[in-house]
Amino acid sequence: MPIQDNLNGALLISAIDFVLSFVIIGGIGVVLALFPLLNRLGKVDDETLKKSH
Amino acid sequence: MFAQFLGLLNVLKDQTGLAQMTWGNVVMIGVGVIMIYLALAKKYEPFLLVGIGFACVVANVPGSGLTQPGGLFHYAYQGVALLIVPPLIFLGVGAMTDFGPMIASPWLVILGAAAHLGIFVALIGAKLLGFSLAEAGAIGIIGGADGPMAIFVTMKLAPHLLPQISVAAYSYMALMPLIQPPVMKLLTTKQERQIIMEKPRQVSRLEKIAFPVLIAVIVNLFFPPIAPLITMLMLGNLFRECLLVDRLAQTAANEVMNIITIILTVAIGSTMNAEQFLTVKTLEIVALGLVAFIFGTASGVVAAKVMNVITGGKVNPLVGSAGIASVPIAARVSHMVAIRENPQVYLIMHAMGPNLAGVFGTAISGGILLALLGVK
Repeated sequence: MPIQDNLNGALLISAIDFVLSFVIIGGIGVVLALFPLLNRLGKVDDETLKKSH
Repeated sequence: MFAQFLGLLNVLKDQTGLAQMTWGNVVMIGVGVIMIYLALAKKYEPFLLVGIGFACVVANVPGSGLTQPGGLFHYAYQGVALLIVPPLIFLGVGAMTDFGPMIASPWLVILGAAAHLGIFVALIGAKLLGFSLAEAGAIGIIGGADGPMAIFVTMKLAPHLLPQISVAAYSYMALMPLIQPPVMKLLTTKQERQIIMEKPRQVSRLEKIAFPVLIAVIVNLFFPPIAPLITMLMLGNLFRECLLVDRLAQTAANEVMNIITIILTVAIGSTMNAEQFLTVKTLEIVALGLVAFIFGTASGVVAAKVMNVITGGKVNPLVGSAGIASVPIAARVSHMVAIRENPQVYLIMHAMGPNLAGVFGTAISGGILLALLGVK
């Protein structure tokens, strides 16, 4: 259903966008909270990377 | 003989732009000169305002056709119109940015969404003033305080409003140190402003390399409308973080960024002709942009206050206003306001987390807006 080009449409689009933004950013936050687990896979050494080119 | 001389002078005059010069052009030349003055004398975003101001002056001198099809400035504008320039700016931004503070404090990223209430207040305000929904969406995105994203969304939704929206967005970003502090102080107590936050953890190289790859996948999967911008941001960041292609990272952060900035500023300035710019709509857009910045700052601070209560006093509410994006200006403002209260409160690293999340917050809001309005 297309959003109507009136004030109701503006309110609806704003409400959906604001809530969805929270959900998605929150989801990114959850993924980032799991990032320390990556370190269990191993360690990437800065000096080794710099020397390898 | 004299009549013939005057006739020749008239012919000569008609061949110059003098005959087409209007008062509007004179006013806009003045606006361009003021921009150059602000850049040089007041140091307000000189990298942007010098080019925009100069192109604004030239665009209002009729005759040369620089801004008409075939003219050089017209081709600069095509880079913006075809949406090539904004993603390339993001490439440079990615190559300059350390996303470590955002990865280190994942719970603060929610402020990147909270500080975008201004987008929707401006959107609804624009609708009330009689703008179409697409125009209102483009105006609202000024509140995201992200220049390239504002340009990108505007070109998709309401390209005829590009000069007003880009000028408003970049002007308010430059004025954030003046706009934000009163709102931040109004909504916080002296005690809250002095909260010292815990030092964020150290982020490993592996995490920093995984971040751009993962975000690029998520954005391309869920937000195709804004994928070009975030993908380039992440590519630039991968250049930086993998440490192997430092030449590419430096080129993206310096040479590419500088060249694209020249093209962008000329393109924006060249659209500021009197006919298009000297309208009531321009004043309305400028006013709505200010409202968006104020509400965005306020909603970010209020959300951070809520987080402070939930965490038992561990969050300084001043970091909330940084969620508005505009990296790193907003984070710097949070830090400066805090350090004026207590020289021992170093908020810069804490504020960078929400600040970087704000870039994604604006992109997500813009992406949802485009999707809801059926724009690809």
